[in-house]
Amino acid sequence: MRRTSITYTLSHCVHCLKCVKACPVSAVTLVDDRISINKDRCINCGQCIKACHSKGLVASGSSLEAIRDYPYTVCLVPSALSSVCKSLEEAERLFYAIKQLGFDEVIDLSPVEGQLKRETQRICEELDHGNGIASFCPVIKRLIETSYPMLMDNLVPLNYPSEVMAKQIRKRENGKETGIFLMCECEAKLALAKEPYKNDTYEVDHTLAIVDLFPQLRAHFPEGREEVHFCRSGLQAANPSVIVQKQEYLIADGFDKINDILSMEEFNLLNDFRMLYLFPCFNGCIGGHLLWGNSYLTRNHIDALTGEENLPVADYPIEDLYKEMVIENEDTRSFTEKMDEFRRVNEVLEKLPRYDCSACGMQTCRIMAEEIARGHKKLSDCRVLAASKERV
Amino acid sequence: MTAVYQRIFTVEQDDYASAGLVSSLIKESLRYMGISPAVVRRVAVATYEAEINMIIHAYGGTITLEIGDDGTIHLLAKDNGPGIPDIEKALTPGFSTASKKAMELGFGAGMGLPNIKRNADVFHIESSPEGTILDLLFKEKS
Repeated sequence: MRRTSITYTLSHCVHCLKCVKACPVSAVTLVDDRISINKDRCINCGQCIKACHSKGLVASGSSLEAIRDYPYTVCLVPSALSSVCKSLEEAERLFYAIKQLGFDEVIDLSPVEGQLKRETQRICEELDHGNGIASFCPVIKRLIETSYPMLMDNLVPLNYPSEVMAKQIRKRENGKETGIFLMCECEAKLALAKEPYKNDTYEVDHTLAIVDLFPQLRAHFPEGREEVHFCRSGLQAANPSVIVQKQEYLIADGFDKINDILSMEEFNLLNDFRMLYLFPCFNGCIGGHLLWGNSYLTRNHIDALTGEENLPVADYPIEDLYKEMVIENEDTRSFTEKMDEFRRVNEVLEKLPRYDCSACGMQTCRIMAEEIARGHKKLSDCRVLAASKERV
Repeated sequence: MTAVYQRIFTVEQDDYASAGLVSSLIKESLRYMGISPAVVRRVAVATYEAEINMIIHAYGGTITLEIGDDGTIHLLAKDNGPGIPDIEKALTPGFSTASKKAMELGFGAGMGLPNIKRNADVFHIESSPEGTILDLLFKEKS
């Protein structure tokens, strides 16, 4: 089952349609004066939240209260989070502060991220059809599933870092009840857990938005330090400017560039490359919307942290990295049915102004045409057509 | 096979700025029709090459997209000349007669026709000084 981590509050909404226009996959619509997010289309990228100026849309994970449901709890920390720390000392203080939230154990994910990065490179070097596409960003995986299904075969079949680590913990705990939490720097990662939507495809139980816990973390920050073992290449995996420097690797951040690159890959125009490392967030994961630092500074922080001479380096085996890439909810309608709908939609589209103004609440005239063809909307709901009739 | 859909696109000579526009439109239409991604990919790659060929080698032309009632995709690329003098040579990977200008823009690697042939299920080409006709069929593979 699909889910979105984004929630909507009607009382804050000013119906400005900024979110409708901002969505890169046309999942946001305004219906009956309410914003509605199509769960099958949403890729949890958070562009609508960024566009919203009235706090009508927010991303939320679980509440910290959920810790009480488990006798033993582990918190996973992606390396992007360490980018808010200027030094090893600050990183140790951050991990201490996270532990003080009530966790029995805090685990840094950089060793898993480093391992997945190496494996991604290896797979891409050996791939015989086009470029491999790094898959550790859930937004990229979902974007390809929904908008570039032709490139599903190019997605590197590796699991998310949090899942690889969570599986390893389940194995270690050997059936003992353990609550696995994931601290998140972005909206997309908030959707990678069992709760609260009873999604059993994940090993992580709950996700938490780090920005919501900022006051508590700040309070505990000066109190002590917790030893952390990092992996240098894993820490760099969150930052496109240093991730890997090789001519055959195309590294890009931001939706405009990503869409451009993926369209080119569909035409096989990127033959001089071997791998596409794509980050929807500007400056990569360290530019995640749930982090408080500005991502130009945090880029320097990661550099400083990886440059620490006495950085304790993690050394343990990491296994079970793979995951099959499949398209969920595939369209099962027959060719005739699909073609009939295509023709009906096109007939309606001919009558619409094609300005894609979004005034009707749909992002584009095509989506409006689909809604009309399905009988959910009427031609008279088009504001432009209605206005031109009034003038006559 | 009866056609259930047909659309004709125009490609203009030397219009490098719009290179890829027609193939993008065709790719988009096929996706909206719900044609399977693997087939759309092959059509997309072939259409792109055909479109580029028309821009850099020919005096422009048209690309006709036709969908059969069984889901077969028929592409007919028809240009206004000057024709291909030696088709066999043109089908050799790496062989190119592209102008310096085209090469500078990154086109003309000599893989156009070979790529089209590789991606199409049925490939038919006819050429005379009046123009080249490229007749392609794409089918869903089970």
